[in-house]
Amino acid sequence: MDLKLEATSRTPAINLDASAGSLTLSGESYPEDVTGFYAELTSALNAYFESEATALAVDIRLTYFNSSSARALMELLEQLDDAAARGVDISVNWFCDPDDDITREFAEDIAADVRSARVTICDLDVD
Amino acid sequence: MAYGVVMEFDRFFKFSQLLLRDEFVLSYSGYVSEDILLAVGETLRARLEDHARDGTQIRNVFSIFVELMQNIIRYGVEGPQPGDGAGEKPSFGIVMVSENEGHMDVIAGNYVLPDEAEQLVERVEQLQSQSPEELRRMYRERLRKSPDESSKGASLGLIEIARRSTLPISCESTQTSDGLCFFMIKATV
Repeated sequence: MDLKLEATSRTPAINLDASAGSLTLSGESYPEDVTGFYAELTSALNAYFESEATALAVDIRLTYFNSSSARALMELLEQLDDAAARGVDISVNWFCDPDDDITREFAEDIAADVRSARVTICDLDVD
Repeated sequence: MAYGVVMEFDRFFKFSQLLLRDEFVLSYSGYVSEDILLAVGETLRARLEDHARDGTQIRNVFSIFVELMQNIIRYGVEGPQPGDGAGEKPSFGIVMVSENEGHMDVIAGNYVLPDEAEQLVERVEQLQSQSPEELRRMYRERLRKSPDESSKGASLGLIEIARRSTLPISCESTQTSDGLCFFMIKATV
């Protein structure tokens, strides 16, 4: 159920580490096939939650995502929120560039309906 | 027919004049695919490093460029000189980024079917008069609709373009001699 994908110029690095109970997405997201790309993460997460996992700490560190990815990220948060509603302890830290107000608003809007998982929008350290 | 040819030269002339007058960052004209989007997008980013005022402007221009190119890929048609062979053919489009007194204009044009052109113009007009708060509300609402419900209202990509544009987005559609429409849209950052 671990999933480790290297970043490409248009897809983020994904690291789901089941033993550590952590998931990280980092890089840029404007895949050619958004649905196909995120489907792999959806099934890895399903397997993880079916394994009686009790917690997951999620870090989202995306420096850019396009509008199709926004929808995929919303579906990811819905999946996490459903697991949280079933009792899994889920916290999401979503890092946004402090200079990019619109992307921060996107993140807030994408996470607006999350009820059971804890989502924190934080500043991404930019060099 | 002759009128159509004159229009083509007219448009071409305007294009050439724009290139001379404005600080020109990048232009692409041709068939648009996801591979082209990636290649031209990376070139655009490198050019923007030299031209843009700051990282925010680079991000906004790049984001608008990606959404415009993906709209061409999704809704465009192949244009008046279709290639041979069956199956899915890439859409034809033009995209241009130019610098004008500190602003960046991003303009895209592509052939669409007349019905599609009418809808696109309507959707852009819907977005033009909205405040940032209203655009944000529309974005939120649109995000929660599946892409299949796309028959009404502006797409998420179009709303993102309007939000990242510092001036209201504008558009125009011109009928071409071959029964298609050439749809043009402009955002400014």
